[in-house]
Amino acid sequence: MHPLLLLLLATAHGLDKLSYKPTLVGGNVEGRMTGSTFVLEQPRCVFDSYSTANIWLVVATREGMDAFNDSAQPGMPEWSFQRFPTNTSAYLTLGAMQYHYGCPKPDRELTVLRVGSETDCADNISVPNCNGPLPGPGPYWVKFLALNGSEPTATTEWSGPITLKTAREPQSIPGTGGARSGAMIAITAILSVLLAILLAALLATLCSSEACGVGSFRPDAASIRRYNTHHVYDQPAARL
Amino acid sequence: MCDMPWNKSGFFEGEVSLHEGLKMAKTDNGIRICQGLLILGNVVIGMCGIALTAECIFFVSDPHGLYPLLEATENNDIYAAAWIGIFVGFALLALSILGIVGVMKSSKTLLLVYIILMLITYAFEMASCITAATHRDFLTPNLFLKQMLERYMKSDTDNNNDKQMTEGVTKTWDNLMLQNQCCGVHGPLDWQEYTSAFRMTHNDADYPWPHNCCVMNTRSEPINLDGCKLGVPGFYNSNGCYDAISGPLNRQAWGVAWFGFAILCWTFCVLLGTMFYWSRIAY
Repeated sequence: MHPLLLLLLATAHGLDKLSYKPTLVGGNVEGRMTGSTFVLEQPRCVFDSYSTANIWLVVATREGMDAFNDSAQPGMPEWSFQRFPTNTSAYLTLGAMQYHYGCPKPDRELTVLRVGSETDCADNISVPNCNGPLPGPGPYWVKFLALNGSEPTATTEWSGPITLKTAREPQSIPGTGGARSGAMIAITAILSVLLAILLAALLATLCSSEACGVGSFRPDAASIRRYNTHHVYDQPAARL
Repeated sequence: MCDMPWNKSGFFEGEVSLHEGLKMAKTDNGIRICQGLLILGNVVIGMCGIALTAECIFFVSDPHGLYPLLEATENNDIYAAAWIGIFVGFALLALSILGIVGVMKSSKTLLLVYIILMLITYAFEMASCITAATHRDFLTPNLFLKQMLERYMKSDTDNNNDKQMTEGVTKTWDNLMLQNQCCGVHGPLDWQEYTSAFRMTHNDADYPWPHNCCVMNTRSEPINLDGCKLGVPGFYNSNGCYDAISGPLNRQAWGVAWFGFAILCWTFCVLLGTMFYWSRIAY
């Protein structure tokens, strides 16, 4: 009987491994991944049987994921955000009581966790659980850890790698000039031709009169020829 | 038969032979028609000149407030084309009146002056049309994107000119985003995909995109700042501003270019007719 009791006690203090895998929120939320934040779905209906626990989010690099010890304590400097990632490879943040993740998920609300949204405590070592902006593009792995007091009671699986956006320089934007459009070529060509025709017509008109070159009247049907048949010049009476 | 208005130089009444008189009678109607057509043509040119001036004044007044964007690209020649259009419109009005007077008086001098000044105006208007059409082609989305990323909310400006252009661009974009409910050139992700002058002074976690991209209430505050930062539909503006920029600029460029082109085609016909008429007038 004593071995049985011991066995029961051992499982009571053991760590349950839940099969839930943290996921990013769906695609219609445009800020799901930015340069220093990402948005996870809340772990609703996952920690139902651990009603007294505090649920913490563990964010880790690759090394942190491999080396993570589930007996991590949120207040300890080894797991503080400010030392991540240079002096520690994982940190705990976004602690919440289990009742915040109640089941069922409310139908019309967006239930998300934004990792990296607190900027004011990012440099404040007295807030080791700061949900500060992530320092680089990653990749990062996350999981949830349920702690009852200081005892870990349950943990989910690690998520897949989350790699954040890396922004490009604006100088890399190609082709800021435009190609010649057909309309512009048409306008230029037609107007140039018309101007050339006008100039040619002007020259032809000027040269057909006595202004340039020949100087003799063309026998034109519409022009009137002046002639003095009576050899009379400058008769004022004839001018009407 | 003798006092034909198109030939005001005197001649001996009795010296004109019968043959010449008959010819004058036949061509008299032709001359009248020619005069009538030229006067009509000039009236149309005058009215088109007024319309061109009005249209160009409207464009130069910049009702959409987009001039600072073009000034910052140093490519504001479509405004230069509109300015030329204003003066060309006035010139066309004045010259059309001169043309009508010249045709009615059949004066060779007046008509020669008219033809030469009209050719000069023609050349200027041609320059305006070609400039408007060519510089319209430079206004691509990438041009505005690069300018927005490099200048919006830029804090370290080199000199006075730079500072002025930066302020112009910032103010214009703020107005654009608020009035048209849009964000960025293609969308809010422009601010995420590229680094920018904005990003230097506003960190990514608090400002994934400028707060002017959020849906505002009547007091110009975001209705839900967290929703806006998350990018939840309904709390932020997801469409880009490029349509709000290119629409008015296109209308301006094509308005100046195509209307000018139409006026020039008509002017071409009237000028050819005037030259033909001028060559038929004797001293």
